[in-house]
Amino acid sequence: MNNDKLKSPIDRRDFIRRCGSLLAGGAALAAGGFLATKVKGKTGDVFWQIDPYKCTQCGRCETDCVLPISAVKCFHANRVCGYCDLCGGYYRPNVKDLNTAAENQLCPTGAISRKFVEEPYFEYTIDESLCTGCGKCVKGCTSFGNGSLFLQVQQDLCQQCNECAIARVCPSDAIHRVSYDDAYQLKDHA
Amino acid sequence: MLKLMEARFPKPDFTSGYQYPDILHSVPNETLWNVVDIVLLVGMMMLVVWAAYRKRSRAVIYSISIVSVLYFGFFRSGCVCSVGSIQNVVMAAVSPDYHLPLYVLLLFLLPILFTLLYGRVFCAGVCPLGALQELVNIRNFRLARAVSATLSIIPWIYLAFTFLYAATRSQFLICRLDPFVGIFRLGGDVGMITFGVVLLIMSVFIGRPFCQWLCPYGALLSVFGSLSWKKLEITEKGCINCALCGKSCPVDAIRSPQVSRTREERLRGVNRIILYAILLPLLTLAGAMLLGSQSDALSLAHKDVYLYELLLQQEAQPEMEMPLEVETFHALGGNIEELKAEVADIRSDYKLYSRLAGALIGFVIGFKLLKLSLKRSRRTYEISTARCTMCGKCFNYCPQNLTSSKPRRPHSPQTP
Repeated sequence: MNNDKLKSPIDRRDFIRRCGSLLAGGAALAAGGFLATKVKGKTGDVFWQIDPYKCTQCGRCETDCVLPISAVKCFHANRVCGYCDLCGGYYRPNVKDLNTAAENQLCPTGAISRKFVEEPYFEYTIDESLCTGCGKCVKGCTSFGNGSLFLQVQQDLCQQCNECAIARVCPSDAIHRVSYDDAYQLKDHA
Repeated sequence: MLKLMEARFPKPDFTSGYQYPDILHSVPNETLWNVVDIVLLVGMMMLVVWAAYRKRSRAVIYSISIVSVLYFGFFRSGCVCSVGSIQNVVMAAVSPDYHLPLYVLLLFLLPILFTLLYGRVFCAGVCPLGALQELVNIRNFRLARAVSATLSIIPWIYLAFTFLYAATRSQFLICRLDPFVGIFRLGGDVGMITFGVVLLIMSVFIGRPFCQWLCPYGALLSVFGSLSWKKLEITEKGCINCALCGKSCPVDAIRSPQVSRTREERLRGVNRIILYAILLPLLTLAGAMLLGSQSDALSLAHKDVYLYELLLQQEAQPEMEMPLEVETFHALGGNIEELKAEVADIRSDYKLYSRLAGALIGFVIGFKLLKLSLKRSRRTYEISTARCTMCGKCFNYCPQNLTSSKPRRPHSPQTP
């Protein structure tokens, strides 16, 4: 100890530490290399989206999103719509009068508005800022109409959670990841 | 299916020249932000290295914490983070069809590489979870070392269960139990926000409770940190054993010199190490067997297994109100035999991975015991690079750093 000449330039503990860090570094690089083989595509399937043909409109999209108001909104495929007067997505079941009074409307927030086009057709439009994604209208339209109303994740609202909180509870496994180019699964194009 | 629906009402043939409205849907948030994330991540970590090793400046690290909380926390709303990326990486490692985004891989690997070189610079202020706790911290009340050491097993248990659930594709435990994401998003699960607020109130008085006793990524980084190539020193002018830094450390990472401790017989120490070395594989085995035996119960965390159990329950008690999952299963014409086969597959996966997870927990407990039984003599105060989160508090407490004059001679019992 007193003789400086006998002392090695690196002490034992440091030497072990250096060996360990080289080992760990090698392991980390090897693991990184292995994982890099799992990286595919430019962006890959990173965005959450609902498959409208799998969706059963259970209503969990409204309640289980991490956002205070769900990122899931109702979309309307005009090219699929029948433009009916008696719309299963617009009116409550067994409604007495076919007018736009609030008590007749199925949508709890009044997000669907309708406009007369020509006899006997009506155009339906969804105000997405009011929609809560509850899926009540979708259920009505799918059960009684053409199924032109469907739920989709509004991509600019979606937080892109690592695991979608709705996907975790979706009973029909309708939520999956899509790529940037297929960010929406629209019914018009099907 | 669509054809059937379309047949219900024919497409209207408009005579008034009505045109279908063009509806444009907003594009996803640009992936460019991911590039910004990675650049900022690397930049901020390099800044921490510079601030800690060169400048010994807490102010710089503190400012980085503020930037991190604002950008990674509130602006990017905390998802995906490096802590959560463990799950994506595990999933990618075990399942052949999982696409791991490059961005997530980098989030996982870069902090590890930096830790291997310089210690846990990511924890310093780059991680928004740590930064948030750092910003509210005022006092450092210490838990007894024994309590703290026992609690530090929790991150490993957390990590083991995260691994188990990610490897079996059941759920992302870390994302589900993240206490601070609700605060960053200003909304979310009430239970988790309450937990986050409790942790934040705790971190006013105790340094970084989440980092110390919960964070699974921190547990991982502590391994790499203990093997880091460079070792942070509180002062370059030599320690004078004033003990001020030890009291300043929020995570109890500064080890005091153990010169005054009573010496014990050499043989006793050796025997104890041999005992724990034998105990280590035994504990590993016991952990594997213990958790492996619970694999069926654990597998209920998987959605399909849970559905299967619900179906069985429903069959046993048909008068029970039908859960939504079961209703949907029947409505979609699900085949219970197919599901049964699937569940058997998942359960066999669970058998394997729960054993691995149990082995990890057992090994960590054994290893911690072994490490506690080793006595290390130090002459001066030293930073334990496994625990140190590089907050930089000690720099300001060290009187050697305050003197701008030429270096004082280091205090050392050996020098005459």
